[in-house]
Amino acid sequence: MTGFPLLSTIVAAPFLAAFLLFFVPATSRATTRIIAVAGTLVSLAGSIGVAALYDPAGPIYQLREKYPLVPSLGIHLDLGVDGWGVSLLLLTSIIICAGVFATWTMQERDQEFYILLLALVGGVFGVFVSLDLFVFFLFYEIAVLPMYLLIGVWGSSKKVAEAGPFRWIFRLLDIGGKEYAAMKLTLMLLAGSAFILVGVLAMYKAAGLDTFSMEALGAVDYPRSLQMWAFPALWLGFGTLAGVFPFHTWSPDGHASAPTAVSMLHAGVLMKLGAFGVMRVGFVMLPEGAQAWAALVGVVAAINIVYGALSAMRQTDLKYIIAYSSVSHMGVVMLGAATLTIDGWNGAVYQMFAHGLMTGLFFALVGLVYERAHDREIFHMGGFARAMPAVAVFFTIAGLSSLGMPGLAGFVAEFLVFLGAWRGPFPWWAVAGIFGAWVTAVYVLRAARQIFWGEGPSDRYPDLSDPRGPEWVALVALAACLVVFGVAPRLILDGIDDASADYLQQIEAAVAATADASGVRP
Amino acid sequence: MLILALTSLLAPLLCFALLAVVEPLRRRGRLAGRLSALVAVSSFAAAARVAWMVLVDGADPVTWTVHWLVHEGQGFAPVGIHIDGISASMLAVVTLVAACVQVYSLGYMADEPPAAQGRYFAWHSLFIVAMGLLVLAPDLLQLFLGWELVGLCSYLLIGFYWRKPSAGKAAVKAFWVTKFADMGLLLGIIALFGATGTMSWEHPPAGIWALVVPALLFVGVMGKSAQVPLHIWLPDAMEGPTPVSALLHAATMVAAGVFLVVRAYPLFEAAPAMLTFMAWLGAITALVAAVTAVVQDDIKKVLAYSTCSQLGYMVAALGSGHLMGGYFHLTTHAFFKALLFLGAGAAIHAVHSNSIFDMGGLWRKTPVGAALFIVGALALAGVPGFAGFFSKDLILEELLHAGHLGPLLLLVVSAGLTAFYMTRVVAIAFFGEPGARAAHAHEAPWIMLAPMALLGMLALVGGFGGGLLAEAWGQEYHFAVTPVGVVTTLFGLAGIGVGVVRYGTRTWTGLTLDGLRGFILSGPVDRFWDSAWRRGLLPVARMVGWFDRYVVDGLMNLVAVAVLKLGAGVRRLQTGRAQDYVFAVVVGALLFLAYGVVGG
Repeated sequence: MTGFPLLSTIVAAPFLAAFLLFFVPATSRATTRIIAVAGTLVSLAGSIGVAALYDPAGPIYQLREKYPLVPSLGIHLDLGVDGWGVSLLLLTSIIICAGVFATWTMQERDQEFYILLLALVGGVFGVFVSLDLFVFFLFYEIAVLPMYLLIGVWGSSKKVAEAGPFRWIFRLLDIGGKEYAAMKLTLMLLAGSAFILVGVLAMYKAAGLDTFSMEALGAVDYPRSLQMWAFPALWLGFGTLAGVFPFHTWSPDGHASAPTAVSMLHAGVLMKLGAFGVMRVGFVMLPEGAQAWAALVGVVAAINIVYGALSAMRQTDLKYIIAYSSVSHMGVVMLGAATLTIDGWNGAVYQMFAHGLMTGLFFALVGLVYERAHDREIFHMGGFARAMPAVAVFFTIAGLSSLGMPGLAGFVAEFLVFLGAWRGPFPWWAVAGIFGAWVTAVYVLRAARQIFWGEGPSDRYPDLSDPRGPEWVALVALAACLVVFGVAPRLILDGIDDASADYLQQIEAAVAATADASGVRP
Repeated sequence: MLILALTSLLAPLLCFALLAVVEPLRRRGRLAGRLSALVAVSSFAAAARVAWMVLVDGADPVTWTVHWLVHEGQGFAPVGIHIDGISASMLAVVTLVAACVQVYSLGYMADEPPAAQGRYFAWHSLFIVAMGLLVLAPDLLQLFLGWELVGLCSYLLIGFYWRKPSAGKAAVKAFWVTKFADMGLLLGIIALFGATGTMSWEHPPAGIWALVVPALLFVGVMGKSAQVPLHIWLPDAMEGPTPVSALLHAATMVAAGVFLVVRAYPLFEAAPAMLTFMAWLGAITALVAAVTAVVQDDIKKVLAYSTCSQLGYMVAALGSGHLMGGYFHLTTHAFFKALLFLGAGAAIHAVHSNSIFDMGGLWRKTPVGAALFIVGALALAGVPGFAGFFSKDLILEELLHAGHLGPLLLLVVSAGLTAFYMTRVVAIAFFGEPGARAAHAHEAPWIMLAPMALLGMLALVGGFGGGLLAEAWGQEYHFAVTPVGVVTTLFGLAGIGVGVVRYGTRTWTGLTLDGLRGFILSGPVDRFWDSAWRRGLLPVARMVGWFDRYVVDGLMNLVAVAVLKLGAGVRRLQTGRAQDYVFAVVVGALLFLAYGVVGG
């Protein structure tokens, strides 16, 4: 199998499907969907293949492929996958498959929608397998930009009450509108990208190797002064996409306005790109900067967890509840990263995986409910379990995973992160995390009870029904994954652990080397 | 032995999976119920065989584990099966009560819609799996997994009548309160791992952690085993179907906290301060709950507070430094309290009301059910010869040995109160004036009475199993008449006597409880938590949410507006009029010229 370009197949399949869709007549809806599903299924099969072929005992990057792009600048399409990439590829392909199925009934401009969606997911795959920093950044931008159109065209608007010290701005910006949400998301993420680009170019120049290879750049011992400003640049740049406080505010509006599959993909996978970037580029390549700034990263992550959970508690709009829960859960990822411990890092990556599945399921369900109830205010709802029992069950499963019920994937991740936090420099981070998990239980179960339990005004919602046809595929697949990876974490944890251990060793070695050189004991 | 223990876990797991996935089977509720009950019975058979092998044949403890998690290439966090005297006997008790309750439920739930029955039995099967995981845990992590899963089953089963708003509230409340306490438990496990590198209860950590770890663990125990002030969820949990109350909220799940202390005793033993605290807290809980039980009119509420109170006995007993009394009481209590709940269920089934005043005179209508309930009441009241008498006696004996005289006193008083409130219930519900709804009452079907009869037998003779149970620690247990036992028994008999003359024969009606009732029914503890919720967490969440929307996000918008305004300002330069541009060119040229002259 070594000869087969598995990774480039995974990346190319969605792009190819998107390209093919240009030539399909807009009226043939079935063909559109078949091509979209085929594209994602190829990637899914490839990702499963990668997971099967990846050998935790082998070298850190496996299934390597290398093609020259701009050799004069040292830019290559250099592909390879580490243990983190394995799980994140798997996650992405599961979510995009589920996303295509979940939007099966979409009517409006469906072809363009799928083209953008596929292009976006191709970018995501690219980021996870790129070993060339320039290509990494390129794919990152490909993944971020289609979102503008996807939300701006297919999104939904919501009225936000005008209040607060900046009341006068509301009308100026049309806050709550879908165009506003799309614009805000894109601009904030692009501002982040600018920081990333500066950080990346600084590393390229300081290394002076005329290559963007992440391996080569990662082996360079950058001057401390550079690390001290480049790391926070990367942290904030990537962190904006990961929902790091206070630059998370694009997320609630963006996710609430986005159509179902886009929310699934964005909260489920794209936010992980941010966290992956912080860890893979920030922490691993700038170890000294990481070590110096880790305390701040952790404090902000702890804020994210508790602040996001409390904000979610206050929301009455179903999509906002789930969106804020993502802000809170991404805090768990960043907290794990900031601990710089093996359990914390394993937990962080596992949390990316688990949260992706969980929030994908959540947004799929929210989409179903919204489509049938034409309403997102939970206090208007009640007794929905009678008309949509399966939706109630799946919602409960997703909710239980988010509050850390053992037997579902969320628990494994949270437990590892809290364990790492406790053994890291600041044990109280674990307390913040555990408290956040409790607040999650408060708002998730309250929402579930409000929406599904009780008698409720069912006559106001005549269209309620359980999922139909392809919609089932998305729900069953995601819920099943939550259970499987909650019961048997070592299916992917061994690979994750392999990469984390290697990277942490690199960091330790780099920090120790500098300490020796300067004669100071760390 | 391992295979048998695995069977008792996997059979119900398979049953749950079947009922969860195969919808047609679930929709045929009666079939699902029979399957589930059959599985529960076979699960008990396997567990009983294991217990027999360990306790009677003296088989050696067996442990089989795999590593659930991994770090740096090393597996850690063992999960699997650990069989010794404690886990084997506990598993047998749990599966026995579960089997009884499921068989009983076949009759009790027969009037529910078939799909609802299927759901009910699916969750019951899941509960056996979860409880089995907890009981057979080789270390604290797996115990925690089972612990959370039984909490989930509790949430689902309390909310079984999900259309009733009160059931929804009670289910969520139970989850919130126990999960709140579980924060302590999880933190305790993590702290233990941080201090010793394992999550095993064998090795107590050193230094300050020797106290902190058990204290944190005990917070979880307080939630699950309903100790004051975290007991508030248990009375509300009575919203669930009565067999659920019998199994989860009386016999097994709420006892998980006590089981945890028994299991992790090396950790608790290393912290004597913790033991003293447990003795006092348990005794206070026992007394407070017993007093509260006295004024309840809802038969299930009486039993719920009574459960609280009895759990207090167990916790206090474990504070004595001896394990046997608390654990012994756990098992006898499982039998007689499950019996009482099933008996209450039969009475409720007969009159369609929970109020003891709606019952009245049931003795004539349902003699078998009434007799079995009275057996349970006598066991709970600690009448000599019945199961509860022996275990309660041992608890008080142990506390006396340990020198915890204060808790001992509270428990002796509680014993009197216990006898009193049970006599009150029996006198009002089964004797006395027939209640309004009791006219058409009829005996429960045999499928409900048979499991009750089995539990009744155990409530009668279970006290003689003490010797068998003591095998779990390789100890001997002999009953002896002691002064403490005599005094307690006299208190109990006095309680019964007062109850009889006040509510039975009504020869003395001077005793009124109105003042007490007013205070207790106003729910002081509940009100405290309620105000913590309404004045603490909710406003904070509201404030945070507002702050995020209008301040944090407002600042982002401010940046956006600033850029817009800047753009609008700069745009003015591009007027589109030729004369302006010519003017600018001229000014520019002049400036260059000036620069050339001055600078050159």
